[in-house]
Amino acid sequence: MTDTEFLEILKSRKSIRRYKPDPIPEEMIDKILEAARWAPTGENYQPWRFIVIRDQETRNKIGDLSRQGSGSRMTAWYCLNELQQRFEGISDPVKRAEVLEFMYSGRVSEFCKQAPVVIALIGDLRVGSVDVPYDLCAAMENMILQAHAMGLGSCWVYGPVASTRDAIRFKDILGIPQGMGYYKVLSYLAVGYPKEQRKHPRPKMPLEDMVYWEKFGNKERI
Amino acid sequence: MDSIKYCNEVLARVESLMYQELSGMAYWKCEFVGTDFIRSKNIEGKNVAEIAESCIKEMVAAGIVKDIKCSTGGDGMMLKLKVKGCMHHAKEVLVRAEGVNPYICPVANMILDQIHEKLKYETSYLAKLAIDEKTQTCLTYLALYETADKIGHVTDWLKGDEDLDFLHSQPSQILASEDRKAQK
Repeated sequence: MTDTEFLEILKSRKSIRRYKPDPIPEEMIDKILEAARWAPTGENYQPWRFIVIRDQETRNKIGDLSRQGSGSRMTAWYCLNELQQRFEGISDPVKRAEVLEFMYSGRVSEFCKQAPVVIALIGDLRVGSVDVPYDLCAAMENMILQAHAMGLGSCWVYGPVASTRDAIRFKDILGIPQGMGYYKVLSYLAVGYPKEQRKHPRPKMPLEDMVYWEKFGNKERI
Repeated sequence: MDSIKYCNEVLARVESLMYQELSGMAYWKCEFVGTDFIRSKNIEGKNVAEIAESCIKEMVAAGIVKDIKCSTGGDGMMLKLKVKGCMHHAKEVLVRAEGVNPYICPVANMILDQIHEKLKYETSYLAKLAIDEKTQTCLTYLALYETADKIGHVTDWLKGDEDLDFLHSQPSQILASEDRKAQK
């Protein structure tokens, strides 16, 4: 693979929230996990732990928790007339109302019920690393890219563990030991064969708007 | 030693550091801050108004706040608190001085906690915290979901709200909205 081909994999990735019901072969799951294993980790502590979930009942519980997490916040934002501001760019009022309802109902985060595989990513806080959240994010990105490289779709979901109360519920669902010093629940990854073809690429900021040279704020390449 | 000043300085440091590490996610992580006090009290009530009243009575008696006015709206899904003379007000000022919009409200957390503990509400959310340094007054808007099917039930919480100017003088929690518009 050339560096250009690698960059193309990065650029063509998109978050997929609709999946075909087809099961994911074991070898593919293993490759996704293997990719995570090779993520950078501070002092090689490898604090990540993965819970692979295929049981429909468990996925339903996580999906309901995800819906509640996102929906409880977005309902409030809508009622305070703030959520609407985020979608002012949709000129068609019917389409705009549909999108808003999709958001504040929490359905936007419910899709793991349809994903054949859900991988919860947690970090062991007792293994001595000081980099647990960052290590976990690197592992998550590796899993996303490996899934994409194999033609699978995935989406990184934070909704069900955003609030502390919900994170406790999430741990209960999966039997993860409670206690603030034991495990950090980062989020989960929903994986499946894509059922949707999302518009791509989504607009990205140009590099010149985000890159400084030598000192903060200096946009001139020296 | 001024122990209240000391505690507020400690809290302000933690609140600012949490924001530096987690950005806006910090807003959603601190719902248990302050709840130990209220759990040590015998809070009773059969509905949101009674629970809130019972909590307020304990907080006033302990000197945590001077006064809280409660009102409900949004078909019972919104609880608004107008808090005066809160002992944590100095904390909010310190946090703001760091360039962070304060997001930890122990007073709101206590009432939400007891709504969960005593009424077994499904979920809740501290949706808005607005602070007026001059009058030492805070406004909070709490979203209450008795059951999961209440999520997605939307009404205009601000219709006829007498504190609209106060509320709109505060930054929105959906901070990215302006950036998103700029990208289009």
